[in-house]
Amino acid sequence: MICHLLLAASLAAAVSPTASAQKQQASSPQSFDQLLQSAEKARDEDRNDEAIHLFRLALVQNPNSEEALWYLGAMLYEKEQFAEARNVLRSFLAIRSDAGPAWALLGMSEFQTRQYPRALQHLQRAMAEGMGDRKELMQTVFYHVTILLTRLERYDDSLDMLQRMLASGAPDPTLIEPAGLAGLRLPYLPAEIPPDQRDMIAIAGKAVVALQMQRQDEVDADFDRLVAAYPDQPGVHFLRGASLAELHPDQATAEFDRELAISPSSALVRVRLAQQLIAAGEYDRALALAQQAIQLEPNRASAHMMAGEALIAKGDTSGGIKELETARQDDPSIGRVHWDLLRAYAASGRKDEAGKEKSEIEKIYHSNSSSHSQSLGDSSHDSQPPQ
Amino acid sequence: MPFIVPGLLIAVSMAASPATAPSRFETIAKQAEAARTQDRVPDAIRLYSEGTQLRASWADGWWYLGSLLYDQDRFKDAESAFQHLTSTSHRGPAYAFLGLCEYENGNHDSALREFRAWAGAGWAGSPELVDVALFHFALLLTRDGRSVESLYLLASVAPRLGDKPELSEAMGIASLRLRYLPENYPPELRERIWLAGKAALYAAQSPRDFARADDFASRLERRYPGQPDIHYFRGTIFTFENKAAEAEREYREELTISPHHSPSMVALAAIDLEKANRVEAGELARNAIEADPENPEAHHLLGRVLMENGDLHDSLSELETAKRLAPDNAGVRAHLAMVYAKLGRSQEAKAESAALLALKNKEDLMAPLTVKLRGAKEKAH
Repeated sequence: MICHLLLAASLAAAVSPTASAQKQQASSPQSFDQLLQSAEKARDEDRNDEAIHLFRLALVQNPNSEEALWYLGAMLYEKEQFAEARNVLRSFLAIRSDAGPAWALLGMSEFQTRQYPRALQHLQRAMAEGMGDRKELMQTVFYHVTILLTRLERYDDSLDMLQRMLASGAPDPTLIEPAGLAGLRLPYLPAEIPPDQRDMIAIAGKAVVALQMQRQDEVDADFDRLVAAYPDQPGVHFLRGASLAELHPDQATAEFDRELAISPSSALVRVRLAQQLIAAGEYDRALALAQQAIQLEPNRASAHMMAGEALIAKGDTSGGIKELETARQDDPSIGRVHWDLLRAYAASGRKDEAGKEKSEIEKIYHSNSSSHSQSLGDSSHDSQPPQ
Repeated sequence: MPFIVPGLLIAVSMAASPATAPSRFETIAKQAEAARTQDRVPDAIRLYSEGTQLRASWADGWWYLGSLLYDQDRFKDAESAFQHLTSTSHRGPAYAFLGLCEYENGNHDSALREFRAWAGAGWAGSPELVDVALFHFALLLTRDGRSVESLYLLASVAPRLGDKPELSEAMGIASLRLRYLPENYPPELRERIWLAGKAALYAAQSPRDFARADDFASRLERRYPGQPDIHYFRGTIFTFENKAAEAEREYREELTISPHHSPSMVALAAIDLEKANRVEAGELARNAIEADPENPEAHHLLGRVLMENGDLHDSLSELETAKRLAPDNAGVRAHLAMVYAKLGRSQEAKAESAALLALKNKEDLMAPLTVKLRGAKEKAH
């Protein structure tokens, strides 16, 4: 009951608290229960301003009333008084930290007040706590988490969220721009897209959605359009290359090379290019690129992973293991690193360590039961084990 | 948790209060501590509230109450608790928390005053608190039009914090001299703030990552070649890279777009002085003063030009103005000492030299806030 969501309530009834209600309050102080009852009645009858006034009065008498805090927070949110809704919901969540829908409203309020890191944190908390069977609310939360991940430069996580959203429903046109932004690795909200980039982002978004929904004809047509129209824009050739990596590795390599010419200081492009070159047996250049990527971003696990794979392929097993162990330390969640280490330890006769890696792999693949998806970002998000 | 999201900052351990209290207070104090250490936060808040009501002088109680409320994002309540600490030995970190609470409550001018008080009290606090407070202090300085000071602060933490989107956003706003907070700048500025911020952040890394700084700065310039402050910013990156010719070109380009851009005039005047072009340096410094009479560096540069021209009385006047506007600027003091000496006013020359020495012993004055901060951090740690 407390967690009943008021999102569907009318926003139309914008009336001030009635004179009679105020007079009654002034002349004969009501008990908390009476105030709460009156407030709920006003809310049920769409006398929202009066309800808000009465919930506030109730909270003066009992500042920790869950009912009053929740309803007041939700009603303020609906009236787009986001800063105040946020403050009330924070007080509510201090008492009821397990209320997923309240975390959702808090995160949405913070989104509206443009406190984006905090909004993301709280919307993710809503996802973790659960939102019952409120599909519309869940979709809203997922959408905002997706666009906030991109805004905060967590593009691969954003693409994973998009994949989950696309896998769970029909194509949604509102996902086109978020997909384009994440795919092109541009940290804007849809509302922040520069007008002269909107078309590029829309085309890229359509291509990413088509790719994730495995509609290959559309994928090719959209990417061809994108590359033809925006050949010099950062991110375009990288995205095209990532889309081609599995089925057309040679073309992917060429696209990554083009991107490197446009974005010469990108560690990520070097990592993906190194990955292609390792698959093609070009270990020397792959190693050089991986080492450059490490220099640019010493904590990027995938760069160490590629360096490790290249070194092992070149016969330097101990050097390779060292790089792979660094990658594992930087990000223990990358299945591919554990696969690499399993093989390397086994080949070196380090059976116990190989056994540990096997267990880690089982854990990772057990917790990530989702189907295979093609990475459009960092190699560490590639769900396939190495060849 | 992103570094700028205030939270879980209860890192400062504090000594227990003297055990002279009535038994009820002592019992509650013990229960409050137990609740806090066992992570029973609502209980701890209730007990600390009760304890501080019983004994208003219980500084530890106010501290933990404020910290716990703060961690729950209940900033108004937290602010009330921290207010009780400004006259205690905990006033240093309390000012930082007060600044953060005021910021979160939307009282930005008050927040800036609290952060200045925090700086005055020695930048005290746990490393986590210092990072968060410093970041918000910088945001408010940018909003107040003090983007250079803001950038000093942000650059001082950039090498340690690395490539954080919140940090680059803050640096972008300051670099473009926009008087906004991250929460209120117009959406159409997002791209340029992002590009400028990335360039500034990479240029502030240790070692400096000029390759990536150049990538982003060039991209910014290509996207917004006719917008104010873009070429000035590009020039500052080139200056960091010791590319004086490229920097000069950018500053001059900025002046074609923004003819009254005093920072570009000051930067060009400095370049001219390096090249002994005192005529243009003087003109630029005068124009900069006309555009921004409170710009200390413009007065400083004009003072230097006049000194080198032998016009010592006018030089003295400009340098005195610079000293009034920026009393901690070592360069100003050094040049003042030189002018006084040339005028034969040896007592005043000695006084300026002594002031210079004292300031130099205290900190490197060419970057006052940065080094003040460094010194304070060392103390805090």
